[in-house]
Amino acid sequence: MSEKTPGNTSEKTVCPRCAHPAIARLFTSPVPGVWDVLQCEQCLYCWRTSEPARRTSRAAYPDGFKLTAEDIRDAPEVPAVPPLRDAR
Amino acid sequence: MAYDDLRSFLDALEREGQLLRVTDEVMPEPDLAAAANAAPRLGDTAPALYFDNVTGFTDARVAMNVHGSWANHALALGLPKDTPVKRQVEEFIRRWNDFPVAPEWREDPPWAENTMDGDEVDIFRVLPLFRLNDGDGGFYIDKAAVVSKDPEDPEHSGKQNVGIYRIEVKGGRKLALQPVPMHDIAQHLHKAERAGEDLPVAITLGNDPVISIVASTPMKYDENEYELAGALRGAPAPVAPAPLTGLPVPWGAEVVIEGVIEGRKREIEGPFGEFTGHYSGGRSMPVIRVDKISYRTRPVFEHLYLGMPWTEVDYLIAANTCVPLYRQLTEEFPEVRAVNAMYTHGLVVIVSTAKRYGGFAKAVGLRVLTTPHGLGYATTVIVVDEDVDPFDLPQVMWALSTKMNPSGDLIRIPNLSVLELAPQAQHPGITDKLVIDATTPVAPDHRGNYGNQVRDLPEAAAWLDRLRRLAAHR
Repeated sequence: MSEKTPGNTSEKTVCPRCAHPAIARLFTSPVPGVWDVLQCEQCLYCWRTSEPARRTSRAAYPDGFKLTAEDIRDAPEVPAVPPLRDAR
Repeated sequence: MAYDDLRSFLDALEREGQLLRVTDEVMPEPDLAAAANAAPRLGDTAPALYFDNVTGFTDARVAMNVHGSWANHALALGLPKDTPVKRQVEEFIRRWNDFPVAPEWREDPPWAENTMDGDEVDIFRVLPLFRLNDGDGGFYIDKAAVVSKDPEDPEHSGKQNVGIYRIEVKGGRKLALQPVPMHDIAQHLHKAERAGEDLPVAITLGNDPVISIVASTPMKYDENEYELAGALRGAPAPVAPAPLTGLPVPWGAEVVIEGVIEGRKREIEGPFGEFTGHYSGGRSMPVIRVDKISYRTRPVFEHLYLGMPWTEVDYLIAANTCVPLYRQLTEEFPEVRAVNAMYTHGLVVIVSTAKRYGGFAKAVGLRVLTTPHGLGYATTVIVVDEDVDPFDLPQVMWALSTKMNPSGDLIRIPNLSVLELAPQAQHPGITDKLVIDATTPVAPDHRGNYGNQVRDLPEAAAWLDRLRRLAAHR
């Protein structure tokens, strides 16, 4: 794991929360080169590269907030999708 | 006086010494949230915060803690900033008596100055988004008013809803929204999803201060929030039709986001540090597709920090949670004197009441649990005598200390409904609830040994005035 910065895009970045390797760039700072907003394509966690390590680094991310693929798959539905009105 | 937009209220706060401009450069994280986390610790006169020098942004303007003190809450209602809490609640009750006051349709809303449509929509280009608490799953919008209609009765203006819900930003034109089942928008979504349809919504940010208050008031399903805003403002609420959906939105908003909650779709959302002072877990929640954004030039992003109470949200949902409960209780029990539901949105409710006969106070407590708000929130109800001020916690503790006997005064009811965010629930959405009768027993309830209660001396009130005057001239 390594932290991604605009000037260091070649390094491998994984999601701090679920360790998924597919990361998308959502936005870049209006002042060029200051920070990027990234998002995990699996758990949708979103972070700014300039945030503290406890939010951006897999190694420093608190265990209590980490998610697994099973957590995502089994997440409770809120609110539950109701049956279609015409369904009998 | 009535404020028609956020900017005029920020000007008023500044004139009153209730706006603190932070001009030093700050980081979007963790500085903005940490400052708003800290601000209410300054006490009941804490100021709003305004930032316009945020690292990496060229044009960010962020307002926080706008309602985050009793002084600011008073000013939002056009009251002197030193108005005591109980007086603010009483004035809120008095003005609600003027409900409904029809809104005023007004042309040329400032938010029509700029627009983004369809694939060009990118919320990150409009708002300087940032994270609040460490464990939040992303950047949230949590002080916007979300407008929707009952899809089965769209012409019924009362069933239209204006509410504040947590909204996670998941992409340039994708949001998530939490409709708590007890809230009106959940009923709208339920009806749309049963029909296999999307639910159109308009999300308005940076509203005048009374819109934020009414949008977070637990009104009845068929009561119109704009009509309450008119009563509270003492003037009709200015509204305008949102250009894409036609939904009525506040004329003075900074930003109007339109789109649909995509029917029958759920996707991972959260966690988010909630008003309970705890994070919700990650859950699968509804998704919004944004189709249009309209915004004032150089919009102000109003955001709200919430965490372990008290924070801004606790001031925002204090008086406006007390008042509907008071109104609903007094419809059947005019003996009720006052309701304090300002702790964690009424998860605890304190009611003062006179008694008709022995056992009466327990009936009042049970009624709290079956009010619309009580169904989702009230988990512990404390009932005190009519001469106990429920806003004066030392008095409430005196009542608990001397009036409440666990033998007979604790009513525990198993497996009642509660919002799923309530951390104490055995299973999300289900909890036991408790009514504590801390009133003096009256006939035919002859428990205890109360004899004669010590009362303030008749001359004490005059002496209080005299001592205040003497103290003021020390």
